[in-house]
Amino acid sequence: MATEHKPSITFHPEPRNLPGGEREYMMDVSTSDLEVNMGPQHPATHGVMKILIRTDGELVTAAQPHLGFLHRCAEKIGENVEWLQYLPYTDRYDYLASMNNNLGYSMAVEKLLDVEIPQRAVMLRMICVELNRIASALVAFGTYGLDLGAITPFLYAFREREWLLMIFEKICGARLTYSYLRIGGVFNDAPPGWLEEVSHFCDVFEEKWQEYYDLLMVNHIFVKRTADIGVITKEQALDFGLTGPMLRGSGVDFDLRRDVPYLRYKEAYDAGAWKVPVGSGEKGTVGDCWDRIFVRVQEMMESLSLVRWCLENIEEGPIIGDIAKTLKVPPGEAYVGIENPRGELGHYAVSDGGKVAVRCRVRGPSFCNLAILEDIMPGTLLGDAVAIIGSTDVVIGETDR
Amino acid sequence: MDFQGIHDHLRLINAPGLLRADEPRAANPEDKKDKGRGGDAYLVVEADALASFLETCRDDERLSFEILADLTAVDPGKDDEDFWMIVQLLSVTLRHRLAIKALVPKDPGQIPSSSAVYRAAQWHERECAEMFGIEFTGHPDPRNILLPDDWPGSPLRKDYEFPTEYRGISCE
Amino acid sequence: MAALPIALNAAQAALEVASSEGGNLTLDLLKQYAPESVPAWILPLTAAAVSVGIVVAVIALLALTSVWLERKVSGHIQCRYGPMYAGGWHGWAQSIADGIKLLMKEDMIPLGADRALFVIAPALVLGAIFGAFVAMPLSPDFFFADLHLGAFFILGMSSLTTIGVVMAGWASNSKWSLYGAMREAAQVVAYEIPLGLSLMVPLIVAGTFNLLDASAGQSDWWGMGWYIFKNPFVLPAGLLFFVSSLAETKRAPFDLPEAESELVAGFLTEYSGIRWSFFFMEEYAAMYLMSLMAAVFFLGGFESPFLHFAKAAELPVIVCNLIAAVTLITKSMIGVIVMMWVRWTLPRVRIDQVMTMGYKYLTPLALLCVLGAALWEAGKVLIFE
Repeated sequence: MATEHKPSITFHPEPRNLPGGEREYMMDVSTSDLEVNMGPQHPATHGVMKILIRTDGELVTAAQPHLGFLHRCAEKIGENVEWLQYLPYTDRYDYLASMNNNLGYSMAVEKLLDVEIPQRAVMLRMICVELNRIASALVAFGTYGLDLGAITPFLYAFREREWLLMIFEKICGARLTYSYLRIGGVFNDAPPGWLEEVSHFCDVFEEKWQEYYDLLMVNHIFVKRTADIGVITKEQALDFGLTGPMLRGSGVDFDLRRDVPYLRYKEAYDAGAWKVPVGSGEKGTVGDCWDRIFVRVQEMMESLSLVRWCLENIEEGPIIGDIAKTLKVPPGEAYVGIENPRGELGHYAVSDGGKVAVRCRVRGPSFCNLAILEDIMPGTLLGDAVAIIGSTDVVIGETDR
Repeated sequence: MDFQGIHDHLRLINAPGLLRADEPRAANPEDKKDKGRGGDAYLVVEADALASFLETCRDDERLSFEILADLTAVDPGKDDEDFWMIVQLLSVTLRHRLAIKALVPKDPGQIPSSSAVYRAAQWHERECAEMFGIEFTGHPDPRNILLPDDWPGSPLRKDYEFPTEYRGISCE
Repeated sequence: MAALPIALNAAQAALEVASSEGGNLTLDLLKQYAPESVPAWILPLTAAAVSVGIVVAVIALLALTSVWLERKVSGHIQCRYGPMYAGGWHGWAQSIADGIKLLMKEDMIPLGADRALFVIAPALVLGAIFGAFVAMPLSPDFFFADLHLGAFFILGMSSLTTIGVVMAGWASNSKWSLYGAMREAAQVVAYEIPLGLSLMVPLIVAGTFNLLDASAGQSDWWGMGWYIFKNPFVLPAGLLFFVSSLAETKRAPFDLPEAESELVAGFLTEYSGIRWSFFFMEEYAAMYLMSLMAAVFFLGGFESPFLHFAKAAELPVIVCNLIAAVTLITKSMIGVIVMMWVRWTLPRVRIDQVMTMGYKYLTPLALLCVLGAALWEAGKVLIFE
């Protein structure tokens, strides 16, 4: 985006003749657009991301995301550490959904290893992943309120998230970077009383969820700020490769958990334990900011019912398969895409039979979801721009990896 | 559709650039060096025809791969002469996946850009370009995306050597 | 040196005019108790100095208290406690500690900033809002300047803060500050009109711009003869006034000039330390000012049944004054707390929505209220007299 330097006043060469015999000289007073760096230290970018925006007054005429401020060479590290050692690094791309990241990486390696996962481990995986999805959606919901100037829902959301983090702490000792889901199963069994606490959380959260919904989602100002703003059509969403809530917000009924099934999601879906919420343009157009945030908020409830289904169906048994301490993965290439809270998290692992990966590719959903900003931000107001960035729910750790 | 079905269909419609299928195979018990290959099955496609092949996959009604989920490259080793371009396609309506592999020679390391077919490819290609030094001809915005504009070398190549300093900052 | 007595004489004359308009308690007291040897021209100057001291002290105290109060209110709304440590009981000294911290901070002026404007802006903002308080009586007999055009003066002075804000935004030489300044200018221009118009409604009922007279006009019906009860158009006008005053004081949901998630901190982006705290104090002082105005013109001013019965029981004047002051401050405090409640509940509106609301809805509605109130009052005169 090079700045155009136009003279501020230009005269039209030909004067106009007015009826009274007078001659009118015309001139244009041209104004230049203001280019602003939104970020890397801007409250609305949810981390260190820069969006170069060009504005005409309050109107955004062009936007260009700049990434890489948080690039930590995750893929290069993956080629230099052993298979098992890489697991803690996966925690760090989407730090709000570490359980999901662990799952994606473990599943990619398991696909190459061809090991069987014990049933109890599968259920524990599902419980943790879904609880983490709720925790992540709570952050998305809370920070979105924050972006629009409603500070209180953020603190409410963090209160419930705090409880979830404590639940995670009880099972794996960490609050943010869990490394709980290991290749072949999970790290350790649920401590006594843990499953009961999760069940208690489900009961309490259901009530709170309704409160949050009433407080923010149907608030008149909130609806006015988000409905019909940042509309992503179905075609645009598919073209840009959007996944997850961004895609469902645009009215596409697609969820990897159901449509490219893994773990026991398909079974739970067939048992009627959960549904796939899809944006319907309830308050405005299909694919607007409200639809996207609505899908996230609804997904919290669906995850909750999934957790309940898991609690009903969990059995006693071993929690980890037969995995060697120094893992040698048979040669091969495997891509596994799972449904992260932000979309499809793809892990593509290439092994040549050694202790270290040849290639460890991570397809971060935020990375792909962010590209659409270039297209949907021009023509909106500065306030809308913030609403749109918030509705993509980016985690910079994942875009930059 | 499963992999076999997709492959057969693409053969039937004579998709441009389709070379062969690369499926996982068991180890050959007679040859001790051959350990077989696990994981996914791939369609190997001619590098120059990748964009038109993707277009066929997207537009064909029985395939309708609306989403390009991932596009990346692999440097299989120092001695290898080719990069692998790996493309993961996903169909939302038909709910199937397809993995595509194209071999791109390291010298000159050029491939036509697919970003006209899938807009999603644009950022992935930028990442590939900076990480592997592959040139995507016809790319609308060929800037670095994650690395600084003046970063030396292509970090994910196997022959990459870590720089000892960057702009006067020691990296050792 | 000859100029000095002339200037002093001029000041004396001005002060006499000012004080003769209504009378000033401080001046009266001084006149009564000062020894004869003190030259006469010193008295009004001293009175002015003392009055200014009291205004600044009272407003600063109110601002400090309400900063603390806001933190407590927001804390309790958000299921937490707010400050709990500084000073002991519920962190009452938190604002004082913060003030000391802000005073200690380095006085920073950005390199590219317009130094003169950058320094003047916070002073202008704070000076304007304190100036507005001069016309605000604290009780029927304790006031600093009893102006005939009190309401007018207060609106004018409080609008002066806008110039300071625009100045700050421009002088900071930061793009975000500039956005904030432009938003403030646009927003205040849009909301001055409904603010003034909605204030016209009780003024029509009261028939005076003077705040003391307006308050005294509500003393009938056992102290419940508030203007909102006297005329059906005053209540909607009061609601309009509340909304406009939120916009005027840059409070959420109209805090667009600051808009911390959009404009980093708007016009405050480059300010820090004590200069920043001037703007902060101004915000709280303006909240009080608007709430006091609302209390005087809509909610009965000093009048309440307590004052009515205190007067009926012929309690000493000082007690009646105390009751009146407490009544007024309580009423304005309620207004301030409602403002806080709104801030911590609602999301922020967008700039075009702010403009639309100001020009398309609030202004015509306020005009309608003015018209209705005028017709109602005229009808009352025609029918009953």
